[in-house]
Amino acid sequence: MSLIGLVFLVFAGISFYKIRHLKEPVVLGPGVTQVKKLSTYFPKIKGSINDANIYFLEGSEPGGTILILGGSHPEEPAGRLLGWIFAENAIVEKGTVIVILSANRSGTTVTRLGGAYPPDYSIPTEWGEQTFRMGDRWSNPLDQWPDPEVYIHYPSGQELAYVDIRNLNRTWPGRANGTLTEKTCFALTQLIKDEGVDIVFDLHEAELQYPVISTIVAHEKGQDLAAMASMMISGTEDFSMGVENSPEALRGLSHREIGDHTDAISLLLEAPEPFLDATRGRTNRALLLEGKDEFVVKAGKHGLLFERIDENGWHIDVRVGRHCSTILQILELWSEDQPERGIRMTHVPRYAEVIANGTGHYLRDPSTASPGKLTFE
Amino acid sequence: MSMFTSTQIILAIMVVVYIVAKALKLSTELSMLLAAVAGALAGGAGIPARHIAEGAFTYFDIILIFITATLFMNLLKESGGVAFVIRGILKKFHRRRSILFILITILLLIPGALTGAGSVTVLITGGMISVVLSYMGLSKPKIAAIIFLIAGLSAAAPPVSLWAMLTAAGVNMPYVGFFLPLLIPCVVLALLTIFILGWKGQSVDLEKALKELPEAPKGMNWTRVLLPFLFFLALVILGRVLPHSFPILGLPLIFVFSAFVTVLISPVELQILKISRDTVKQLLPLIGTLTCVGILVQIMTLTGVRGLIAISIVTLPIVAVFASLFFVLPVSEAVLMWGAAPVLGVPLVLLFNTIGLNPIIALAGMSIIWPLGDALPPTAIIGRLTKDTVGMEEPYTQMLKHCIVPALIIMAVGTLMVIFSKSLSFLTLL
Amino acid sequence: MIVTLLYYVLTAFIALLIIWNLVKSKKWQDEILYIIILIPFLLRLLRLK
Repeated sequence: MSLIGLVFLVFAGISFYKIRHLKEPVVLGPGVTQVKKLSTYFPKIKGSINDANIYFLEGSEPGGTILILGGSHPEEPAGRLLGWIFAENAIVEKGTVIVILSANRSGTTVTRLGGAYPPDYSIPTEWGEQTFRMGDRWSNPLDQWPDPEVYIHYPSGQELAYVDIRNLNRTWPGRANGTLTEKTCFALTQLIKDEGVDIVFDLHEAELQYPVISTIVAHEKGQDLAAMASMMISGTEDFSMGVENSPEALRGLSHREIGDHTDAISLLLEAPEPFLDATRGRTNRALLLEGKDEFVVKAGKHGLLFERIDENGWHIDVRVGRHCSTILQILELWSEDQPERGIRMTHVPRYAEVIANGTGHYLRDPSTASPGKLTFE
Repeated sequence: MSMFTSTQIILAIMVVVYIVAKALKLSTELSMLLAAVAGALAGGAGIPARHIAEGAFTYFDIILIFITATLFMNLLKESGGVAFVIRGILKKFHRRRSILFILITILLLIPGALTGAGSVTVLITGGMISVVLSYMGLSKPKIAAIIFLIAGLSAAAPPVSLWAMLTAAGVNMPYVGFFLPLLIPCVVLALLTIFILGWKGQSVDLEKALKELPEAPKGMNWTRVLLPFLFFLALVILGRVLPHSFPILGLPLIFVFSAFVTVLISPVELQILKISRDTVKQLLPLIGTLTCVGILVQIMTLTGVRGLIAISIVTLPIVAVFASLFFVLPVSEAVLMWGAAPVLGVPLVLLFNTIGLNPIIALAGMSIIWPLGDALPPTAIIGRLTKDTVGMEEPYTQMLKHCIVPALIIMAVGTLMVIFSKSLSFLTLL
Repeated sequence: MIVTLLYYVLTAFIALLIIWNLVKSKKWQDEILYIIILIPFLLRLLRLK
């Protein structure tokens, strides 16, 4: 009996170990001018699992600075994949684009207890496929243990569910002497201040049964910009994006705290991810990437969802494409309005292109990367 | 084959395997495990070691709280502290039934409210209080019913109500504003329960009762009893008042520290290792159930069975949802324990939110109904625990019979809280 | 940091208690249950999950 237990332990243990140590290659695109570490801005995080890579894409013309956060919630993969597209393809002509692919790297190394997530997923490319860690919503308990019985947010003092002390989108603006997740947010806040970031994009995905979906959640500083972008997107692209105001009562979220504690405008983008729905059927890689689910469709027919869904589902390319176009649209409007703080870049696909070519089309083959042009997440 | 049909087949296979396993006299825990493995096989996932281990981990933090809280309470019991308190209360208030009932209710509510687990109430104060109640002329099944029902309410009571916390976390809602919506119904219903079930009895035969209750050892006094609790409270309060300068200890470690205090000031020498080992042994059914439920939920999620159950319930007409809460919530609790919160609580709260109800009050209402399921098979975990703790010889159904009237009141109050949650919204603001 | 370390000590202590009870157990159903509940404790101690 004990032997069977041991076999189980070994098999499960190997699977957990492998995924925690899976390396995700990033081929530095022509636009990347430097790769820094998050600890540059807050040395206390040096050597920790959350000492993320910070990709800088600097244009020759002076302009504004934006920060794109992928992987705040690693179980919402569209944001991380967009980070790859930017780091491996974008060329910035004016201003600076800073990209983070794993804002909460610890959270990428673990999967949801009881959630039956696959350990990883692969995106097909022209040169084979690239595998990514699945990740969870929260930091890995191996990196932050224990949780309090109630999480009290700093500095507001608001009480939140105990697990959310490991939720990167509940620990903004961060705390220098806090937990790993709080320190990570503190470091990111320092980065935003030190680099004089104008706009922060925090990329997310949500279950269709969640009211905040297919929308830009905007701090009051960014409401006009978001509203304008929403109108433009609905007019020019093949999809529509709503706008929501960041509620003042909900603390710890990026769209609230970054706007409150730094000079930056904070915007959070939500795309639909049926994989996260509580009524979802079989939990597997196909559902994660194709977003097709009969049960969620049924929930939609009963008016229980805040976004439509049919048998075509919500493919990962659609979700990534939405994020791409939304960011580009916002930057166009921003650059028109603030020419001296403007951003101009090329080689980032829009919605229709991502759908036509697939996300994998924009992933570069690490085996052909020239020396010094390869990093790992 | 549509996903509905294939998932229904998997569910049917799991149910059949569970029933066969039970028929072959396997324990509930192992039957759940077998049902999970059968589900994984039927779903084409083989025997997924990774998912089984991950599922087994689901309630790891709660298991740590259970073990450390129960160890703390067992040490307190062995040191004679609990006996001292019960004897003290009995001596002082044996003529005043109402005050005795109120004190007993408070003693039963505290452990579960602090830990979020009704079983901790049963284990910590349940045994002693059952002795007091038996000298008030109540039958064992009646006593078991009182302790079981109040233990359930104690688990739902704030500050720690796991159903509310797990569901709130699942819908990205902060666990805020729940204090009064949970506290008021839990206290009122607990008092109603003890007065309804306990009113007809006789006055306490003090001498007989004191004779049967374990003697408190020499040297035991109020300071020695209260100090570990004060220490516990101090650590919890410090964590709340100075959250950003006091280290995060977590409930398990707070219980361990309080246990150390108990050992240090105990008038009798405590055999820590033996008591620790016995604690794990005593908790085996509970920890085993939690672990196996975790595995079962993981496999149900993997195979889509969890989604099938959720979608079947949330697509019922809303009147049917309201009308079936009293039944669906306890049954889901009986099968999944806290797993019911992510499986059913999350879609239900989202549904209520969609139709404009107040999700906090509605969730609080649901949270007081859920624990009733802990008396029902297949798990019946708290019910079984209560029966054993009280030392009830009568058939288990006797206890259930006495539960009916208060349980109906609890179900009614919980359901009404859901239906009228909008009008009760003010409770969340206080 | 110290608190986390104490949690590993606590986990190890409970794992030992489970193993001790497992060895002493005479009922095969209890044995299986002890083995299952031991798995998370060992995975955490080995820092695998």
